[in-house]
Amino acid sequence: MATIQVRGLVKRFGAVTAVDGLSFNVQPGTVTGFLGPNGAGKTTTLRMLLGLVAPSAGTAEIDGRAYRDLPEPLHAVGAVLEAASFYPGRTARAHLRIQALAAEADPSRVDDVLELVGLADAGDRRIGGFSLGMRQRLGLATAVIADPEVLILDEPANGLDPEGVRWLRGLLRGFAAEGGTVLVSSHLLAEVAQTVDAVVIIDHGRLVAQGPVAELTASGAGLEDVFFQLTQEASR
Amino acid sequence: MTALAIPVAPSSPRHLRFTRLVRVEMLKLASTRMTYGLLATSLGLTVFWNALESSQAGKANGPAPLNTYSGLRTIVTGGVWGLILAAVLGVIISSGEFRHQTATATYLGAPHRGRVLAAKTIAGAAGGAVFGLGGYAVACAVGLSFTAAHGYRIAIGGGAFFDWGAGHLVGGALLCAIGVVVGSLVRSQFAAVIGVFVWSIILESLVGSLFKPVRPYLPYTAATTLAGTPLGGSSFGPGRGVTSGVPLPFAAATALLVAITLVGALIAARTTVRRDIT
Repeated sequence: MATIQVRGLVKRFGAVTAVDGLSFNVQPGTVTGFLGPNGAGKTTTLRMLLGLVAPSAGTAEIDGRAYRDLPEPLHAVGAVLEAASFYPGRTARAHLRIQALAAEADPSRVDDVLELVGLADAGDRRIGGFSLGMRQRLGLATAVIADPEVLILDEPANGLDPEGVRWLRGLLRGFAAEGGTVLVSSHLLAEVAQTVDAVVIIDHGRLVAQGPVAELTASGAGLEDVFFQLTQEASR
Repeated sequence: MTALAIPVAPSSPRHLRFTRLVRVEMLKLASTRMTYGLLATSLGLTVFWNALESSQAGKANGPAPLNTYSGLRTIVTGGVWGLILAAVLGVIISSGEFRHQTATATYLGAPHRGRVLAAKTIAGAAGGAVFGLGGYAVACAVGLSFTAAHGYRIAIGGGAFFDWGAGHLVGGALLCAIGVVVGSLVRSQFAAVIGVFVWSIILESLVGSLFKPVRPYLPYTAATTLAGTPLGGSSFGPGRGVTSGVPLPFAAATALLVAITLVGALIAARTTVRRDIT
C-alpha cells in the first residue's frame, strides 16, 4: 500500500512563505491527522501533494511518485479539498458518472458510493440545492469512487452533523483497517483525537511535531493540550 | 472497506487515456444545462433574426428578394448566432471550471493540464459543430418557408446548400475551439463572454469596414465566410453590407482558424493553465 512522503517542501507566494521546508511521512494502515492553526500551510501542502500547486522547492510524493506521474491518479488517491467545487446545475448522479468515467471505474460504482455516503435518495437532485453536509458526503463519494489506496481530506467534517461525523470516523477507520493510507486535516481537535492514529502538526509552514497520538499524549495531557503547547512554543 | 472493493483498472495506454479525457469533457458538456440553454438561445435568435430579414426581403432597406440567389443566400447563411454562441459555449467550457471551482476535480483526475485543454478543445469543437449546424438548419427552414410562402422557386442549387452546411459545421467547431482557448486565457467568465460579443459584433465590424484588406482574416468573419455568408453580410452596425473584398477560400479560412486555436492553446498551456489552483 502507498506511503505519503513530503521532503523539504517549500511554497512561496511572493514575499509570503506559506510552507517552509516541511518534511513528514504518512504510513499505510493509519489515519494521520494534519493539524495546525489557520494559515499554518495545511491546505497549501495538501494541494502541493495533489499537484494542484507547484512547490517552490522540495518534493511531495505518493508511493514514490509525484501526483502527476501516477498512471491512474484516481485509483491511487481520493481527495476532498473543498465542499463547494461542484457544478451546481448537475445532479449528484451525473457528477459521479463523470468521475467514474474519468477514473475508468465501473459505472455501477455510482450507485454503490451514493449508498455508501447516504445520498442514495438524493442522487437525482441538483447539487446546487445540497446542504454543506450533503456536499461533503458527495465529495467523499467522489473520492472513493475508484477505490483508491490513499485518502487526502481537507476538513472533511465541516458541515457534517454529529451522526455524519460519527459515520465519517467509521469510514476512515475502516479504510485504514484495510491497509489504506489516510491524511486528514482538521481543526476539530476533539474529533481528531478520536479518529487518528498519528498526527503531523505544523505552524507557520514548519513541522512542529509528528508521531503517534499515543506517544504525544504519553504524559497524560490530551491532544488538544499538546497541540496548543506545541504551536505556542513554535510561535515564540 | 469491503463494500468498496472493486478490481483496480489496469493503467490504460496513453492514447486511450486521452480518448477517455475527451469523453469526460463531452459528458460534462452534455450534462450541463447551460449547453442546452445556449443552443436554444442561438436557435431562437436565428429564427427571430432571419424571419425579420425574410419579411424585409425585396423591400427598400432589406435584402434582395427571396426568388434570387443573393436574397435567399442572405437568409440561409444568416445563422451567425449559432457561430457567435458556439464561441460563447467554448468560453464557458473552460472558464466555467474556475467559476464553479471544478478545476480542482478536473485536474485531480487528469493532472497533465495541457491534455485537459486539448480534450476540452476537441469536445468544444464537437459542441460548436452542433451549434453551427443547428443554426444553419433553422436558418434554412426559415428562409425556405418564406420562399415557399411566396410561391418562389428555390434559386440555390443543392451543392451550395451542402457546402454552406459544411461551412457552418467547421466554422462553429473552430469558433468554439477558439472560445475554449479564450476562456483558458481569460479566466473571468463574465469578461470573456462579453469579450466574445464585443469582438464579433463591434470590433470586427469596425475594423473590417475601416481596413477592408484585413477583413477576410478576422476570425469571426473568416468563420462566417466559411459558412457562406458574403463578406460584410455578418457584420453589425456600419460594417453591415459593406461587401467589397474577396473572402478566404474554404481551406485557407479553416487553416487560419486552426492556427489561431493552436497558437492560443500553446500560449494558454504555457501561461494561465500552469497557474496554481489555490
